[in-house]
Amino acid sequence: MGYRTYLLRRAFYALIVLFVILSFNFALFRLMPGDPTSLIIDPRFTPEAKALLEKQFGLNDHPIVQYGKYLWSLLRFDLGRSFASQRPVRQELMERLPNTISLFLTSFVFMAGIGIAIGVFAAARRGSFTETFVTGAGLFTYAVPTFFFQLLLLMLFGYYIRIFPIHGTVSAPPPEGFWPQVLDRLHHLVLPAGSNVIIGFGSWALYTRNAMLEALSQDYIITARAKGLSQRAVLYRHALRSVLPPIVTLVFLSLPGLVTGAVITETIFSWHGVGRYLIDAVLKQDFPAAQGAFYLIAIAVIVSNFLADLVYGLVDPRIRVAGEQA
Amino acid sequence: MSQALTASKAEVSPRGSKTGRMRSRSGFLGFWSQFFRRPYGVVGLALLAVYVILAVAAPWLTPYRPSDTFLADRLAAPSWAGIFPRFRGVPPTKRLVIPASDWKATGLVAATVTRQKVENNGEATVINLSPEATGSASADLSWTLSYPYDPPKTFEVNIPYAVEAPWDASTSLSFKVVDPSGTEHVVWEKTVYGSSDWKTQKLDSRDYTVKMALGLSFFDDPAQVVFAERGDYHLALHVESSGGSAPVRVTVGEVGFNVLGLLHGILGTDHMGADLWTQLLYGARISLIIGIVAAIMAVAIGTAIGLISGYMGGAVDEFLMRMADVFLSVPTLPILIILSAFFGKNLGNIIILVAAFAWMGTARVVRSQTLSLKQRAFVESARAAGASDGYIMVTHLLPNVFPLVVANAVLMMPVAILYEASLSFLGLGDPRIPTWGRMLQNARAFGAFTEFAWWWLIPPGLAITLLSLSFTLIGNAVNEVLNPRYRERA
Repeated sequence: MGYRTYLLRRAFYALIVLFVILSFNFALFRLMPGDPTSLIIDPRFTPEAKALLEKQFGLNDHPIVQYGKYLWSLLRFDLGRSFASQRPVRQELMERLPNTISLFLTSFVFMAGIGIAIGVFAAARRGSFTETFVTGAGLFTYAVPTFFFQLLLLMLFGYYIRIFPIHGTVSAPPPEGFWPQVLDRLHHLVLPAGSNVIIGFGSWALYTRNAMLEALSQDYIITARAKGLSQRAVLYRHALRSVLPPIVTLVFLSLPGLVTGAVITETIFSWHGVGRYLIDAVLKQDFPAAQGAFYLIAIAVIVSNFLADLVYGLVDPRIRVAGEQA
Repeated sequence: MSQALTASKAEVSPRGSKTGRMRSRSGFLGFWSQFFRRPYGVVGLALLAVYVILAVAAPWLTPYRPSDTFLADRLAAPSWAGIFPRFRGVPPTKRLVIPASDWKATGLVAATVTRQKVENNGEATVINLSPEATGSASADLSWTLSYPYDPPKTFEVNIPYAVEAPWDASTSLSFKVVDPSGTEHVVWEKTVYGSSDWKTQKLDSRDYTVKMALGLSFFDDPAQVVFAERGDYHLALHVESSGGSAPVRVTVGEVGFNVLGLLHGILGTDHMGADLWTQLLYGARISLIIGIVAAIMAVAIGTAIGLISGYMGGAVDEFLMRMADVFLSVPTLPILIILSAFFGKNLGNIIILVAAFAWMGTARVVRSQTLSLKQRAFVESARAAGASDGYIMVTHLLPNVFPLVVANAVLMMPVAILYEASLSFLGLGDPRIPTWGRMLQNARAFGAFTEFAWWWLIPPGLAITLLSLSFTLIGNAVNEVLNPRYRERA
């Protein structure tokens, strides 16, 4: 079984997961108590008018027909209208998506970059302060709930020492001109992204350090050293290269967690993104909006899982050849 | 809290003690003697013991219930914060009941003051006025209050009173606060025509009637105006009657005077004046229950699925493992958010939901262990002896995977606690129950930030952190003792 078969298989699983989530969504919102028409139909409506509306909304169709229509509309990203704002959910999500992506990408790039760099550094200098720091940071990450840490930062830098804005993605009204606005957005980004980085980089550093230490104890490193290669060459050209595949996989494997974590980060910093949209919708019982936001997040997670599988297969020759390690 | 990072840590972290020998003794005692050789395991256990003690002894460690409000003013700082310059001179809560014998009559015009026992109201001050002779009569009573603090935000006055008078008498009562520089602040004025039965006038400095009596506007703060200085205040009660054709008798019960403090208890108060230390203690109960019950449920589900999947193999295995894959691929927090909104906000639902999305890791580990166990001779012989599949799974396989299960359960507890805290923090927790997540949510929603109420934010966060840390430390130690396979090869 080659890489192609492996990929097809993973793609198939991704589709199954998507299908299960969609079906679950469908069932959940159909099982909900109450008559969906009661939201728009006044009790004074005549039975004929009610029947007409039910016909228009397809509520009398066989559940399977309803399910088919539902799947088809989701495939076209037709997510209905929000109860609260009466606007199409797709439009609202599309307004928020760039904000979520910018927060997400910034956090992620800095987290992984700083984490991997410090991890390599710590492995190169065993027993140094950096190594202690990395281990400590890793433990800190594990124990401290992200939202608590973010609340502390918000209180400290948003309210006590007022150097960062306390909420939102951009000042209201936004500053004039392109560059001032970019700067303003970056200013708003510092706390949410920064807190993600501080919380997240420790585990990256720890993972990289451990992988590097394992690599550095291998025979080929001793050989490389014995050849008289410089410490730099040994570290970067031999050891780092061999640990890159698992790290790259980890990059993609950590994507779903970040997407999920965005819900809390966005809520705390009132970030105008998809995660906060989900929470607001759920708290307001705005079901189409909640369903739409969940659909988008689920797709993001499934796609990043699939990307992880894809990259994992590419970088690990055992998968490429055998393909059985699922 | 990314799934992948957590998974990688699970592989990395159970390293540590290189001195740990292989298990020399087995059984309960052997386990503990091994466990206590691991310092971080002991630290974790000690931490957990502290939490358990606090949770169990909560009713004895605090005189309040979590639902008691206005024990002090809103956002009162902890008592010990008085050592910081910012809180020096901040008033503590004063709840005074002024006994009848303490009132000093300062001015009597055609009046006498006596005392009398009153049913349900202790001793009352009786003021006999005789306006029928002179046309009007009055009495002034005063009580000294020493107040060496900064202005409070709120004060309350309770005045129980009754008037017995002929129909043509008009009797007026007023309550004044005289500040150290002699300015009189009239807090309450009331005129009674004829008689009045027992009534208790309750005054709150935030009430608009009090502001009107003081001649303040709606946005002024009476407490800041009245108690602007430090020193000896006089609370003064003035009673005046005129026009009556017969003697008038005014009875004033025990006057209550409260200053709601801005320093309170061990951890201060929240936006409702509720005691945060109490909330923290009762929150420990909830977190421990959730952590333990949800983790045990999750691990039980995981173990059952892992055993069946590993032992049965074939299509069953394929189906169950694909199911685990699906559950692993679903974004956990968002689906918990949706489901908890759907099923309703109560503790049982949250526990079940958390368990329903946390069993997959255990299932995988147990399955792989079962796969290797079922090749062993003892399983073969049990099967040859005619044992049923269920019997083999329960009596032969389960005890062998049990060490794994125990370690998994302990390591699952912080995960469950964090999920519940996240849900409560997002406003999806059980609204009737004080949890740490809800404390944090309240702190965020009701002004801990603008008032810089660190005593509201830090304790619950720290409590969650240390509790998950203790479970993690214990879990890793248990894992090392019970599953030596995970130990680093020296």
